[in-house]
Amino acid sequence: MSSEDSKWGIAHVHASFNNTVITITDQTGAETLAKSSGGTVVKQNRDEASPYAAMQMAEVVAEDILAQGIEGVHVRVRGPGGNQQTNPGPGAQATIRALARAGLEIGRIEDVTPIPHDGTRGPKNSGF
Amino acid sequence: MSDRSVSRRKQQKQWYTVLAPEQFDREELGETPADEPEKVLGRTIETTLGDLKNDASENNTKLTFKINEVASDSAYTEFVKHELTRDYLRSLTRRGSSKIAAYITVLTSDDYRVQIQPVAYTTMSADASQEKAIRREMIDLVRETASERTFKDLIDGVVEGRLSSAIYNEAKEIYPIRRVEVQKATLEAHPEEVAAEEETSVDVDADEVAVEDIEDEA
Repeated sequence: MSSEDSKWGIAHVHASFNNTVITITDQTGAETLAKSSGGTVVKQNRDEASPYAAMQMAEVVAEDILAQGIEGVHVRVRGPGGNQQTNPGPGAQATIRALARAGLEIGRIEDVTPIPHDGTRGPKNSGF
Repeated sequence: MSDRSVSRRKQQKQWYTVLAPEQFDREELGETPADEPEKVLGRTIETTLGDLKNDASENNTKLTFKINEVASDSAYTEFVKHELTRDYLRSLTRRGSSKIAAYITVLTSDDYRVQIQPVAYTTMSADASQEKAIRREMIDLVRETASERTFKDLIDGVVEGRLSSAIYNEAKEIYPIRRVEVQKATLEAHPEEVAAEEETSVDVDADEVAVEDIEDEA
């Protein structure tokens, strides 16, 4: 918290290879302030995960929360996780960049991909 | 659409300032909105140690606080979890060296139940027997410190790294150690909850248990 009277939020970014979901909450994570996902900005389903869609979404969301008096966000990125890929998808990096460009301060960036401490068996190799 | 009603509901919400426990100098942790004060209770807020102490070098430690008291526009918290960030732990893990972890649930002198997870990294790959000895040392040390300290003192020791350096000094006699950290410390139960558990628990005769054990093995 850089200054005393500025409000901060948390930007939860779920970036998979099929979609990107951005949810901005207060610092406890209990109250959602703004949210958006790929379908709100693109028509083609396959474009939902694209960096371009992520940029558009981040701009809309950033405008919304700046109007609500939030000055900066801590970022929590995650990929699908579990027994799927643990790396965030293409939308993650674009989102953070767009949020910063929209005039939000970016605090900590943390990876919160769920990692199993051994659970169910992973999917078989789909042959690529 | 329903956009307007959402914003109207938002206006009714009041922002509460979340304050750290006394132990951490009642530092401001952040703010949270709610329409009713009761809804603020039980929310958790996460910060890094660096934020609390204005020391950027301590940003590898995450502390979680839980709101347990609300007064007009401020919310008071208690400590619930201490954790190292995932990227820091990953950066410590290296090829050709051993990682020795332990999970210890202890009761402090004022009856808080706490789980502590110390972890030690050796300079070179250690033998299983050496790992065992170090783990033994860790468990004994944590048990001992917990039994003679209050919850507050114990958490202070964990957060400031006194517990991990104590383990380091003991364990380095057994095998060269690169680093010792407490990777996680969580509050499991309050004194009241521990007391309630004890009341409801049923006494089991020692010989009764032993008989069953033998039957299992046979």
